[in-house]
Amino acid sequence: MRAEPQRKKKKLDPRKEQAVKDRLRRRIRKLEKATQELVPIEDFITPLRFLDKSRQRPQEEHSPEESERRALLLKRWALYKQQEHELEKDTIKAMLEAQQEALEELKLESAELYAEAIKRDPSLFPFEKEGPHYTPPISNYQAPEGKYNDITKVYTQIEFKKYN
Amino acid sequence: MSGTLGKVLGLWNDTLCKQAFSLLRFRVLGENPIYSAGGVLRSSRHYKTKPTHGIGRYKHLVKVLEPKKKRAKVQVRAINLGTDYEYGILNIHMTAYDMTLAESYAQYVHRLCNKLSIKVEESYAMPTKTMEVLRLPDQGSKMTLDSVLTTHERVVQISGLSATFAEIFLEILQSNLPEGVSLSVREHTEEDFKGRFKARPELEELLAKLN
Repeated sequence: MRAEPQRKKKKLDPRKEQAVKDRLRRRIRKLEKATQELVPIEDFITPLRFLDKSRQRPQEEHSPEESERRALLLKRWALYKQQEHELEKDTIKAMLEAQQEALEELKLESAELYAEAIKRDPSLFPFEKEGPHYTPPISNYQAPEGKYNDITKVYTQIEFKKYN
Repeated sequence: MSGTLGKVLGLWNDTLCKQAFSLLRFRVLGENPIYSAGGVLRSSRHYKTKPTHGIGRYKHLVKVLEPKKKRAKVQVRAINLGTDYEYGILNIHMTAYDMTLAESYAQYVHRLCNKLSIKVEESYAMPTKTMEVLRLPDQGSKMTLDSVLTTHERVVQISGLSATFAEIFLEILQSNLPEGVSLSVREHTEEDFKGRFKARPELEELLAKLN
């Protein structure tokens, strides 16, 4: 009498559990098959208020002297940038050559050190560097108190299953 | 009976004669019906043996563009080639509050890699983070909204960087780093990759239920 309800639990429950688990697994497989969507990047979406026609500036008209001056200025700027670029290329080349020379010398000195030098540096990886700042840090500066709130929009992928 | 048979046989003979005659005609002309121009092993269809066979073909000239759908499988392979070490896939992250600066610097890095023949796998943008800055004034105790700052991040993914050249490359990057942009070079990991995708709470729920 007491045993009968227990028997039911032993037989039906594991089967039910199995069925439930199978259903879950099938669902998970179906969801995993669906393609993952990339988060839309807000940078690339122009806000609608900037697409207003009334904000468009009319084309400016220049006098011939002005346009001449502008063209010559552009040419001078292009020349300056070219010289800068050439300088950079030369420095890179010089650095490479110096490195190659040093490695050759090291090879002649000792082969083991050369082998070690060629290997990559494992401590190089998480390389962080901040850009130069406009002003140097002010000593004895007390920052105002406050806090930051992260309000980035969290996008979730909706799996279309229920049609209500 | 015999008459009909005879007729049938006669007809047979007739067609055979005709075929034999056509073959003979080709032989006489000096053309081999089977092995003519084009090398097509057919003797009855003459146009496929002519030199103009396949004159209308164009599909072999059109480039087949593979439809670039979703993100393909990530082949995260760290290329360790013994002594001549080459790094695997490296991510160069550029974060800045100013979008134009970050983008122009990313452009510069991309062009530099092209110039130095470093393979650029991808160049993408990470989702922007918006931060609200709340200030606490000296007298009052109420927090007031000061400003809203957006942090933009651009990533250039490169592979095949040799150890000796990596140092020079980093030096160049550092020297040209603009003001307000922070640079970070790290290895590509699964978390980096998954950070670009939308959260899937339902899938996570189901997985939790299973476990």
